[in-house]
Order: sequence, then structure tokens, then C-alpha cells
Amino acid sequence: MLTRISGGHVIDPANQRDGRGDVWIRDDRIIDSPNEEADVTFDAAGKIVMAGAIDVHSHIAGWNVDTARLLLPEYQSAAAPRPSERKGWSALETGHLYATMGFTTVVEPAVAPHYALHAHLELADTPIIDKATLAVLGNDDYLLRLLHDNESEAAFEDYVAWILEMSRSLGIKVVNAGGVAAFKDNVRAFSFDDVVPAFGLSSRRIVKALQRAVSSLGVPHPLHVHCNNLGLAGNFETALTTIAAAEELPLHLAHLQFYGYGKEGDRKFSSAAAQLAEAVNRTANVTVDVGQVMFGPTVTISLDVLRQFNARTQARPKKWLILDGDTNGVGIVPYNYRRSDFYNAVQWAVGLELFLLINDPWRVFFTTDHPNGAPFTSYPEIFALLMSRDLRANWMSELPAEAMAVTTLPSITREYSLHEIAVMTRAAPAKLLGLTDRGHLGPGAVADIAVYDDLTDRVRMFRAAALVFKDGDLVVRDGHVTRYRWGRALAVAPARDRAIDRRMKDYYAERYGLSDEFVKVPVYALSRPEPFVFVPCR
Amino acid sequence: MERAWISGKPTPLDAAIAEAAKLIGASTRILIAGLGTDIAGARAAISLAQRTGATIDHMNSESVLRNLDVMRSSGVMMTTATECHVRADTLLLAGPLRGTARDQLLQNVIGSEQAKNRDRRRIIWLCPGRDLLTFADTVGATPIGRKQEDLPGLLATLRADVAGRPAGKSCVSLKRLRQVSAFLKQSRFGTAVWSSAELDPVVIEMLCGLVGDLNATTRFSGLPLAPEDNAIGVLHVCSWMTGLPMRTSFARGVSQHDPWLFDSSRLVTSGEVDCVVWISAYRSEPPPWRRPPPMIALTAPGTAFVTPAHVHITVGCPGIDHFGVHHFAATGTLAAFAATQPSETISVAEAITRIAAATPEPGGRSC
Ligand SMILES: [Zn+2]
Repeated sequence: MLTRISGGHVIDPANQRDGRGDVWIRDDRIIDSPNEEADVTFDAAGKIVMAGAIDVHSHIAGWNVDTARLLLPEYQSAAAPRPSERKGWSALETGHLYATMGFTTVVEPAVAPHYALHAHLELADTPIIDKATLAVLGNDDYLLRLLHDNESEAAFEDYVAWILEMSRSLGIKVVNAGGVAAFKDNVRAFSFDDVVPAFGLSSRRIVKALQRAVSSLGVPHPLHVHCNNLGLAGNFETALTTIAAAEELPLHLAHLQFYGYGKEGDRKFSSAAAQLAEAVNRTANVTVDVGQVMFGPTVTISLDVLRQFNARTQARPKKWLILDGDTNGVGIVPYNYRRSDFYNAVQWAVGLELFLLINDPWRVFFTTDHPNGAPFTSYPEIFALLMSRDLRANWMSELPAEAMAVTTLPSITREYSLHEIAVMTRAAPAKLLGLTDRGHLGPGAVADIAVYDDLTDRVRMFRAAALVFKDGDLVVRDGHVTRYRWGRALAVAPARDRAIDRRMKDYYAERYGLSDEFVKVPVYALSRPEPFVFVPCR
Repeated sequence: MERAWISGKPTPLDAAIAEAAKLIGASTRILIAGLGTDIAGARAAISLAQRTGATIDHMNSESVLRNLDVMRSSGVMMTTATECHVRADTLLLAGPLRGTARDQLLQNVIGSEQAKNRDRRRIIWLCPGRDLLTFADTVGATPIGRKQEDLPGLLATLRADVAGRPAGKSCVSLKRLRQVSAFLKQSRFGTAVWSSAELDPVVIEMLCGLVGDLNATTRFSGLPLAPEDNAIGVLHVCSWMTGLPMRTSFARGVSQHDPWLFDSSRLVTSGEVDCVVWISAYRSEPPPWRRPPPMIALTAPGTAFVTPAHVHITVGCPGIDHFGVHHFAATGTLAAFAATQPSETISVAEAITRIAAATPEPGGRSC
């Protein structure tokens, strides 16, 4: 089938397009304008045409998310647009709500290896969007043992490759490297050069080893790092230390907002976003996503068990769950970000400062660390805030003045253009994840396309796309899902020495008395045709 | 071998499927219960429930909801059997552990000969119940208190003593109590183990509270032993498909959860449902009701019914007759199991999918 989206304002930064024109689709792919009549034509005059958006970090599925739902039956609104619409918080709604905003690919970034099958089963039930998982390593005994015993780099890489293939992941994330393992030995605070008691390894050593292995295996997505000391006053120094430790190799820092805190002012809590932005600006091999905070009730879901344990006293409502897991664990703590709260207002400002002070939209990514900073349904409001200093001024006028005084936000005049939004949410994430077939509108790309009405009300514009195509299928019209289909999961499978397979079998047998079969995600278990697409390694 | 029956008479499978679809199409208040099935079966059952406005419940909901009640009203610390197996230096067992709980304790927690912590691990068992004292001895556990009825009092005083508050009277001497709390505090990584099948939510909450308090100075975590019939797996499917646990109704077009209102036994005895779909693929477990409304039963072979089902179809066992994904108690995760003795016997997922396909779309109800 030949489809033409005609006469829209096409914004496609990867192909240097920014102007009026057509986009053509044959079946599931974008093609050059053919010398043929289209079977179907959609008039996009006066509308904005972009590739489908890509979310690099959003906790949407798996044991952690399921358990958060079970912990909070009263939060069935948590994934719905606030405050009015009360819809279910389910896999179905997740796919539905992402699609209506024009998002077509989402990365679930926190899958401990033993929980991979669970995550993929749920992702397979999340309609419309494509998805991917990041496998979490760095607090697992096997890896720490390899480092402790000074095993070869090749042995280390084989293990990382084995985990990637068994768990069908697109990349590797490390969460408070060593800190979660140290917590099992009753350590309550853990910084970049602190040492895991049982193994004598620093966080730095773990991060560097993983960063090198991911790079050497040719996995396109750089190591995805959740730093130590999340949420603590003065923790910008931890982030600066981690950025400096990246040295010459690529490194991605997740939800940097949660590390943007200084100790200035009467309350010993201030924004250090300017220092962080400056460090990111001068370190070209480092990318970050923001983890913007928005006001309202939410739930924090984090594999940083140590941090979540320490945060449990701030739970609102007063309930929480901490899991000391095999390879990592998780902490689930509900939280309410309040406009009237000094600290929450500073957090909100820090996120926006990072967006606005980091110069290169190719290296700063759009996230709320859903649902940790805010539900992903708040994205349209954040786009609007980035695009209008007047809107930001309106918001700031309703926030505690003493909070704004310890940030630089009031002095920032920058406004994002639609082109920059397209870079940050389309072209750049595709590049970061190594997905050459999406994030742009060039010939050969998967026909994932979002068409928006060009409204001055950017919230309304981004909340409900006029048209969304997934693999060339029209799935959303005027903000409503018109067709359900099943997406696929993107994964890498770098080459490895098969000797590791035998070693892992022995490890599971000896350590747990179990077959290692339970770690595997067999394709047949997902009951969908072709549930995975493999992304080539470099 | 016969595999399908209508009103007790052997029939071809296709006829049984058609009859089941006819019954579902003619019913307005459907209950899907038992739910002893793998992930694929649960997905199919929940989809059917959403489409027909039915209510879903699991035969072990009671045990699941006791732990869930505590979780959704306070703070809990949990670990997995695997982590407990390799790391715990202290096990604090609480209350009776019978049936599947006892099996899990032996297989997954106390573990095999290779268990690295076997020698240095100490086991304390609070009020195991008189009948389990010998078993406690064989696993090397020191019983503190005996009768199950003494557990709430013992836990309350123990918790008070651990937290440094005055401890009242309990079934053991204050000296003994002090020894126990000192011992717990000296653990490096302790794990409390319980089975919700025989404990009150109040007791579970006290135990979880004790675990939380012990973390003020050391590391301690909790390990609820999983009920049978993939109850935890089904719980998670319910969460991702509906946002809510079992005992959820779709009658009003949205998911509505109520542990009392949507208890399958209450619904059947009060006559609030006009059709029951009973699922038990892991065991030949019949529904417990004397006078259920017309019933479609999907069960393991050899199920002896109190009241015969209108439609009865024998289904295969996940991981034996066909591959299946279900909760794996050893690791606390979902895991895939290939068929060990592949057979032609239909799976729950396939049976329900075929019944659903043959059921006419209810007028005006969207899915
Ligand atoms: Zn995150």
C-alpha cells in the first residue's frame, strides 16, 4: 500500500529537513517520493510531521512495575493525564497513552537479569509501541567475583554478552554500582570511590569495567549509569566525578536531575544544575537524560535499593516495598511532589535548568524517569515549558520564591524550537540506541510517524497527535487509538566465546542448585510472531 | 482416553467448546475461578473476563491477599529464596509451614548439600505448632514457643524487646525472649520465612514490622513462601492486564477490585453468578461448591466433581504436556518450562481462546 502525507511542515533533523513537503510510505517503510498515485493521502497542511518519538528511559513493565501497581491500587490514575482522566494503569493503557502522544519506541531501563522473561511478557502485552530493555549488572555476585578475581577482560565481556543474549536486552545499565551489593552487608552510604566490603571493589572500578566491556562488545548504546548518592544534597559532585571518569569512552548518565543538588542557601539545598550542565557541555562523549520532576502524586520505582531504603521514611502514602534481590533488587516508594515544598520546587527547576543550559540537544534526552519524577503523561506540559519562557515564569510565580532563588531558572531565556524538540525526542535517541531504522523520515526508515496540529497550546498539541503511524499502519487519529497492533522488542546479541555458556550453567548449579534455564527468555514463551528484532553491534 | 464431556457424557472436543461458548454467550454474570493455570492461560482467561464483563478469582487468593493486605498498608522488606539460600545466616521461621510451604522450605531455602551457609546458619522457629516440633528438630531449628495460638503474643513482645520497648508477658520467659532478640540483632543477614496460608494479616504485619525494625542496626528481610497453582504468576498477570489483583470484576466496563465482594465462594453461595468457569491445570482440584450454577470446568485429568460440570474439558499441565511460563518459587520470578512429556492434551490458553472465538460478541459491550 502506498500512503502519502501531504503538505505538512516536515521536521526531520537527521536528514536536514525542516519545511513544507510530503512523506511517502510504502507498506511499513518510508520511501522517496515515487512517480505514482498514492492509495491513500492524508492532508497535513498546517500540521507538523515528525518521526515517531523514542523514550530512552521509562519504567513501564516487569516485576517492579507490577508490584508498584499492587502496592498502590489507589493510584490507578498514576499513568493517566492528571488530574481529570482516571483510567486504568495497565500495559494496554501504557501503549495506548504513549501512542496518542506520538511515541512509537520506549526503553524499559531496569531489568535485573532474572526478571527478564517477566518484563518481556508484559512488554509483549503493551500494544502499538516497540520497546527494549536494559539489563542491569554491577551489583551481581558473578560480575563482582570476576572483577575481584582479576579475571581477563575477555571473560568479563563474555559474561556481559551472555546476559545480553539471555535477557534479550538492548544494552546494559548499572545502578548505584556496588552500592546495592554493599547494602546487603549493611552499608548505608556509598560513593564513587567507596568499596564493596565483600569484594574490595570500588564503584569506579565496576563502572569502568562495564563501560569498557559494552564498548568493546560493540553494543551501540553506551553504558547507562545510575550514579551513586541519588537525591542527596551536595550530590552534584558525585555526578561530576562520574562524568570525569568517563574519560575517552561514551557514557550515558540517567536522570541527571536527581544529581543536580548543591548545599547552598539557608536550607543547605540548592540547584547545582549550572555546574553539571557546564561539565556535560565540555564532555562530548557524555550523554544524559533529565528525569524531570512534575508536581503531583507518583511512585518511585528504582533498582537503587540502598537509596530507596533510605527514602522509605518519606513515603507518601506511608507504605513501601524493598526487595533484596539476587542480582540487584528493587525499592518501591510512593511519593508526592508538592508545589509548596521547597525541595520539590528546587527539583523541578533543576530539571528545566539542565534542559536549557545543556547546549546540544543531541546529548540531552527527554525523560521524567517515569514514574519517578512524574508519569510520562506529563510530557506535553514539559514540552510546553521548554518552549515558552513566559509559561515558565507563570509557573515560577506560584512556587516558593526562596526555592527559585537557589536556582538559575528565573534568569534563563532560552526557548526550545520544534526542531530542537525533534532532535531531542527523535533523531538523538535513535543515534544513542544505535537504531538506524527509526528516529528519522529518510527512505528505508520504519514508517513510525507522528503528525501534530501546529497549535499555540503546545500541551494540547503534544497530548493528542492528529495522526500516528506505526510500521505504516494508521494507529491514532485525532488523539484516539484507532487500531491496536503488537510491537516488538529490540535487542542486541554480541558475539561471545561459547565457553561462557558452560561456565554459567556450572555457576547456577553450584551456587543455587538450579539449572540456568530460568534466566533465559525463549522466543516461544512470548506467544507473538517475531517478538524480537536484533540491532547489529558495531 | 476421553477428554471432553457435556453433562457427564463423553463428547468430541469441538462439541464441548461449542457448548461452552453457547453457555457463556447466554450468561450475564460470569465468574472465572480457580485460575490454576500458566501465564498464557491466565492471559486468555482475563481477556475473556474483560470481554464478557466477568469476575476473576484464584483458588489461593486468600493466601495471596493476606500478604498483599500487609504490603498495601505498611512497609515490607522482601527477599528471594535464592538470595536467602546463599546469604542468610539466620532464618526466623514463623508459624506453621505445611504442604507446599514445607516443601519450599526444604527445597529452596534450607536447600541442598551444596548450600554454602549450611554450617553457619542458625534457624529459629517461632510457634511452629505442636505437630511440627519433630520436623523442626530434623531441620535443625530451635523452637521458641510451641502452639500456633501463641504466635501473635510472642511476636508482639519480641518486637517490643527488639525496639527497646518494655516487653509484656508471652509464652516464653523474658530471659529467653532477650536471648532471641539479641540473637536476631547479631545476625548479619537474617530472613523471616512464613506461609500466609495459615497466618492472619495482623500476624504477618507484626512479623514484617519486626523485620523492618531489625534493619535499624542490621540487615534482615522477609520471604513469604508462595501459594500453589501459580497464584503469584496469575497475580502479576492481573496487575499488568488490569492494574489490580484477582478478585476483580469487569462488569461495569472498568476494573473493580474488592476482596470481599468478588470472593468466588461468596459469589457462588449468594447466587450472584449465573455461570462459572473453573480452571485447575496443575492439579485435579474440583471447585469446592455444592450447588454451583452451570459450570465449564477446565481441569487436570481425574478430577472428581461434587456437582458435575455442564461442560468438562481435560487440559494439559504446563511444563509437562505443553510448554508453560509460571512463577518459579525457587527464584521468585516467572520462568519458562519446556514440556517434559509433550502430549496432544489441549492447554488452558488454547481451550479458552477457542471458546472465546466461538462466543458471540455481546451486544454493545466493548472490550
Ligand atoms: Zn530510572
